[in-house]
Amino acid sequence: MASESAASHAHGGAHAHHWEYSVYPFILSFGILFLVPLAFAALFIYKIPLMAIAFAGLGTPLVLWGIAGWVSEGISVKHLVPGISVAGLPVFIVSEIFIFLSIFSAYWAFRLMADVWPPAGTPVMPTMLPIFMTVVLVLSSVTIHVAEEKLEHGDVGGFKSWLILTIVLGLVFLGCTGYEYTHLISGGFVPGTNIFSTVFFTLTGFHASHVLVGACVFIAVLIPALAGKTNKPLTQCASIYWHFVDAIWFFVVSQVYFW
Amino acid sequence: MSLIKEWVFTTDHKRVGILYLIGSIAAFAVAGLMALIIRAEQYNSGLQIVDTQDTYNVFLYFHGAAMILGFLIPGLTGFMANFIIPLQIGARDVAFPRLNSFSVWLFWAGIILALLTFVIPDKPDVMWTGYPPYSVTTAGNTAFYVFTVHLIGFASILASINFIVTIIYMRAPGMGWNQLPMFSWCTFGAFIIQLIFVPVLAAAVTMLLLDKYVGTNFFNPTNGGDVLLYQNLFWFYSHPAVYVIFLPAMGALYEIVSTMGKNPVFNYKAAVYGGVCGIVIVAGEVWVHHLYVAGMPDWLRIGQMVTTLLISVPVGFMVISLWGTLYRAAITYNIAMLYAAACFFLVLLGGLTGIPLAMTVLTVNLSETSFVHAHFHFVMAIFAAFAVFASVYFWFPKMTGRSADTKLGVLAFWLNNIGVQVTFWPLFIIGLQGMPRRYADYDMFAGLNFEKYHHISTYGAILTAVGAALMIINWVWSAAFGEKVKNGNPWGSNGLEWTHAACPAGPGNFPEDVTVGPEWSAYDYSKYGK
Repeated sequence: MASESAASHAHGGAHAHHWEYSVYPFILSFGILFLVPLAFAALFIYKIPLMAIAFAGLGTPLVLWGIAGWVSEGISVKHLVPGISVAGLPVFIVSEIFIFLSIFSAYWAFRLMADVWPPAGTPVMPTMLPIFMTVVLVLSSVTIHVAEEKLEHGDVGGFKSWLILTIVLGLVFLGCTGYEYTHLISGGFVPGTNIFSTVFFTLTGFHASHVLVGACVFIAVLIPALAGKTNKPLTQCASIYWHFVDAIWFFVVSQVYFW
Repeated sequence: MSLIKEWVFTTDHKRVGILYLIGSIAAFAVAGLMALIIRAEQYNSGLQIVDTQDTYNVFLYFHGAAMILGFLIPGLTGFMANFIIPLQIGARDVAFPRLNSFSVWLFWAGIILALLTFVIPDKPDVMWTGYPPYSVTTAGNTAFYVFTVHLIGFASILASINFIVTIIYMRAPGMGWNQLPMFSWCTFGAFIIQLIFVPVLAAAVTMLLLDKYVGTNFFNPTNGGDVLLYQNLFWFYSHPAVYVIFLPAMGALYEIVSTMGKNPVFNYKAAVYGGVCGIVIVAGEVWVHHLYVAGMPDWLRIGQMVTTLLISVPVGFMVISLWGTLYRAAITYNIAMLYAAACFFLVLLGGLTGIPLAMTVLTVNLSETSFVHAHFHFVMAIFAAFAVFASVYFWFPKMTGRSADTKLGVLAFWLNNIGVQVTFWPLFIIGLQGMPRRYADYDMFAGLNFEKYHHISTYGAILTAVGAALMIINWVWSAAFGEKVKNGNPWGSNGLEWTHAACPAGPGNFPEDVTVGPEWSAYDYSKYGK
């Protein structure tokens, strides 16, 4: 408590006379408005590709600008309570768990109430690929842990290489997902095929999107690190998130491939 | 330039809170206009104002979605939580100020998307519930409904993280959990509920989006899906959402009643640990009562009746504590206290009409009638809206450094209060006789003489509209030209935001760092002989 109040005093003392501001949250939120709902509606509902391209073309740079600016600001500006983001991320993960739980409970409800399982139209699912993907993801959890250790001991060079290795493993995982999807879709197993395909693509796709976000966050940690700027709380947050994505994968893989 | 920098790009919690207030009042005004159109349409049987029933559905959609997602939730957990909590717990800002600014602009993006309803072709017409199969098969733009929920929901989740962390880690040194002011406690509970349940709503509407535009089978029974799954997931969030609305509203009432009565909060610990914590614990087991009519086995109905009635235990703790705060109080009746006093009546009225709706035998018949419509408007919508209005008046000096005009405020209060009673009492009566909700045209009930009740109800809506307009005019005018308050504590309150911060509170909130001792309480009015 003593150190906290000292920090907030230092902060208050330095900034008490002007209103703090940041342009990036505003830019990011309107980038998202253009990129997601408006571009989606233009493309899929009103079928005007030109308008969709315009919205996406407006939204994408805004989103990238917003994220880049936010990260660089977040690395340099001091928080009121140092390192508090490490306390915030687990709270965020609670809400993530409940999104996954909703999809899982939908799956359990469908599966336990179905007359026959798997439903007609389901091909034999691969088993070697998911095992390989599990190994890749577990390895990546280990490598990010090593990277954190290196950062803890002040070895920025080692931190960067282990971080890059983690990103590569994440991308390998995404590559496997892409390969599997093309394989299944070319075999006629698409999201609309039956209730299993619906849940399969939603669960694995939603998980893969988390891997993608995790990899992007690591890239956002890596770019300033290459310029010599590291930030421990940011790295820790990215790592906690990655471990969470890894843990969720065990549920996904056991429920959709091996049940 | 500095206006844009210090307002649009602000990360200060007070200004973010005011941005929330402006957005939610805008949503309130437009959705209120929709309510007037709905009332005007129901004035007579048959179609007069709208050309088709589909247009009427669009108005119903906008009224419901904008009032709940655009006004009540952002007004209570956006504006009030932002403006009050850091000041009240002695913090200089929230834990993540940039995330806070991100939340408010995501909320605004959601409002803008909702307002686009009026200019796009194929307007969304799915109510605020978006039930499949209609929402999947309709030609309307369900995607805008889904994305509005996503944007505002994401804003809510981020705000929850922000405030949960803020309340845990940033209380003034020395402030224990048993000294945490009531509004912060109640809103803390509301944010825990949001954190857990909003993701489930996000998942449900995402499945809707996938079903409609990607062709998945979540809600398609011919291919193994289940329509009721949506209703379960939807109400798993949307029933607890009423506690997200109820808790901060109650929290603000404790602050106002305690200050205006110069009386400590009665049974603080029972209200916190029995009431707030109790609601958080039982919030997640009540939702199935929204599916009574949709189809479920009888034994489940009985169980759900019990869990629904169980919610009245923690709510009872809180309401008794609120009434007890009045005991031998020296009450000052100003505008904030008038609204608070009206809330005592509204919560009682709404709560008592809720009991028959929890009873299976009654609710199977009352479901989808205007009895339900009147019930939830009293207990959720108007109760919470009045708490927001009371809070705006109460914290007005802290926001603007000026006081709101009393005469205009009192006039608007009576118009509002009488207006809502006149609007919704007739709906209880005709609801019991079978008047259905959501109907533009009720010709099929011609023999039951519902029209005269609808006439009264529409007159009430007009009164309320005049009152609400006067109230908003009062706020805008008083914020610019109202009488300046002389000191930081015009109400003689004991809360930190009044005793330690200026009116209006400046950057960094407090001139000096705030610490409190073990004997400090926000409700210690012993110097008034209490």
